[in-house]
Amino acid sequence: MNTLPIESAANPLPPKVRFSLRRVWLLARATVTQLVRMKILAFLVVFCLLAAGAGFAFSVINPEQQLNLLKSVTLGALQIFSLVIGVVSTALLLPKDLEDRTLYTILSKPVPRFDYLLGKLLGVLLLIGGGLVVMDAVLSLVLWLRQTVLLDAYLANLRSEKLDSPEAVAQVREIVARQGLTWNLHWAVWAIFLKAAVVSAVALLLSCIASSTLFTIVITFCITIIGHGEALIREFFLTPNLGGTFNRIASFALAVICPDLAQFDIVDGVIAGELVPWSVVGDMTGIAALYVTVYLFATHLLFVEKEL
Amino acid sequence: MPETPAVSVQHLTKVFKGSLGKGAFRAVHDLSLTVHSGEVYGLIGPNGSGKSTTMKVILGLLRATEGQTSIFGVPSTEVGSRRSVGFLPENPYFYKHLTGRETLCFYGSLCGLRGRKLNERADEMLVLTGLEDAAARRVGGYSKGMLQRLGLAQALIHEPRLLVLDEPTAGVDPTGSRVIRDLILSFRARGITVLVTSHLLEQMQEVCDRVGIMARGRMVREGRLEDLVAVENQTELVLENATPELLAEINALIQTAGKDARLLRSGRPRTTLERLFIEATQESGKP
Repeated sequence: MNTLPIESAANPLPPKVRFSLRRVWLLARATVTQLVRMKILAFLVVFCLLAAGAGFAFSVINPEQQLNLLKSVTLGALQIFSLVIGVVSTALLLPKDLEDRTLYTILSKPVPRFDYLLGKLLGVLLLIGGGLVVMDAVLSLVLWLRQTVLLDAYLANLRSEKLDSPEAVAQVREIVARQGLTWNLHWAVWAIFLKAAVVSAVALLLSCIASSTLFTIVITFCITIIGHGEALIREFFLTPNLGGTFNRIASFALAVICPDLAQFDIVDGVIAGELVPWSVVGDMTGIAALYVTVYLFATHLLFVEKEL
Repeated sequence: MPETPAVSVQHLTKVFKGSLGKGAFRAVHDLSLTVHSGEVYGLIGPNGSGKSTTMKVILGLLRATEGQTSIFGVPSTEVGSRRSVGFLPENPYFYKHLTGRETLCFYGSLCGLRGRKLNERADEMLVLTGLEDAAARRVGGYSKGMLQRLGLAQALIHEPRLLVLDEPTAGVDPTGSRVIRDLILSFRARGITVLVTSHLLEQMQEVCDRVGIMARGRMVREGRLEDLVAVENQTELVLENATPELLAEINALIQTAGKDARLLRSGRPRTTLERLFIEATQESGKP
C-alpha cells in the first residue's frame, strides 16, 4: 500500500473541477440501475402488455377501427406510463439520496452539483427512453401482425362476397396501410418521450424546492395538467382588457412557469392516421430541448445554494 | 515558509433561516479552529452543539453565514477543495443495489480513477477495511459495522490527505468499534490528517492528538489532549521501587529526598476526557 497520498504538496492540484461528461454518464448509469432495481421496468412491461392486450379486447366493425383502437390504447398507456415514471422517479431521487446521506458522500467528492443534477435527470430519461424503445418495438410488431391478419381476413371476406373489385381492394389496402405501422407511430412515441422529459425536468426543479416528495408529485401533475391548456392561458393574458388584474397576473405567472405541453400532442393525429411532417418533429424536439435546458438551469441555480 | 493547515476555520458563524414564522437558528457562532497536517483532531460536544454543521461547512455542503473555511488552503466553497478530502457521514447508507466492490468503484470513478488503477485501489481498500470476503455481496445485506467500514473505504478510495469522520463508531459493536479505532491510528501513521467527531470519549482519548470541545455553537476548550486533561492545581509523583513502608511515609517525607526511591516523573495527574467534557459543557451552559 502507498504510504503517502497521491495528492502531495509537491504535486499541486488544479483548483477548478470542470464539468465532466464521463462523471455525468457514471451518475446516470447509477440512477438507471437504481430505478431498474426498484422494479420500475417490470411494472412498465406488465402495464404496457396489458394495455396492448386491451386493444384486442373490444368488438369492432372494420380493420380501420381495430388498428385505430390498438394504437389509441397502447399510445395512451405509454403516455401515462412515461409521465408517471418521469414524475415519481425524479421526485424520489433527490430526497432519497439526501435521506440516505448518499448525497453527502457523492458531493463531498470533487463532483460539481450540476454534474450530479444532470446525471440524475439523464438517468431518468435513459430509463424512460429505454422503456419506450422496447415498447415501441413491441407495439410495432403487434401492429404489423394485426394489420397483416386483418388485411388478409378482410380481403378474403370481400372475395367471398364477390366485392373484390380492384378499387375496393386498393381502398382497403390504403386504409390499412395508413392506420397500420408507419413512421408516424415512432414520431408519436418520440413526442411522448419529449413530453416526459420536460415534465421530469419540472419535477427535478420542484424537488429542489419542496420539503416532501408528495408535494413535488402533486404539484408536478398540476403543472402537467395546466401545461396542456397553456395556449388558452397565454391567449387570455395576451388579449387586452380581459379579466381583472389578479387574474391577469396569475395567468402571466402560469404562462411563464408552466411548459406548453400541447406542443407535443401529436398522438391523436397519429391515431387518426394523419402524417407528421419532419418540420413538426424538429420543432417539437427543439422546444423540448429548450424547456429542459431552462428548467435544468433554474434547478442548478437553486441546488447550488441548497443547504444539505 | 509556514505549513498550510489541513483545515482552517476562521470566525465561522452559521445561521439557519427560519421558515414560516420560525425564528432563525444560530448553529455555530464565531468558531475558529485549525487542524494541522498529519494530526488527529477530535471535535466533541453534546448533540446540537454545531459539530456536524461545522463539518458540513468545511466540506462545502453548507455555506458559511460569516467567516471562512479552507482545506489545504483551498476555500471550501470550491469543488476543487474536495480532491483532498474523504468524508464518512454519520450512519452512512449506500446504493443498496450495488455490491461492496461496485460501490467503491462508483466512488473511485467519481474521483477520476479508472481502469486498473481503480480496480487495484478498490481491492486495496477492501483488504484494509476487512471487507474482501463481502466484496461481491449487495450492500443492502451489510451489517452496521460493515457499512461503516465500507464508508471508510469509500472515503479513502482516492487517497485523500484529509479524512473527515462524523461519528465513525456510532451504532457499531465494541469489536467493530475497535477495528475503526485501529484504522484511525493507522491513518495517522501513514500521515493522513483526520478530523473526527464522536461521543465515545474514551476512544477519542486514545486516538486524538488535539481536541476541541464545542457547546452551543461555540468552542469552549481546545488544545493538546495531554494538556487539556491535566489538572492545574495538583502534582503527581511517579515512583520506582517504592516499598509499602515508603508509601506509608510519603506524606511525611514529601518535602525531603527519598533514599532508594527515585523520582521518575513529576507532573499533573490526569482526569479523563469524559470528565473534562462534562465539566466544560456544563460550565458553558451556566448563565
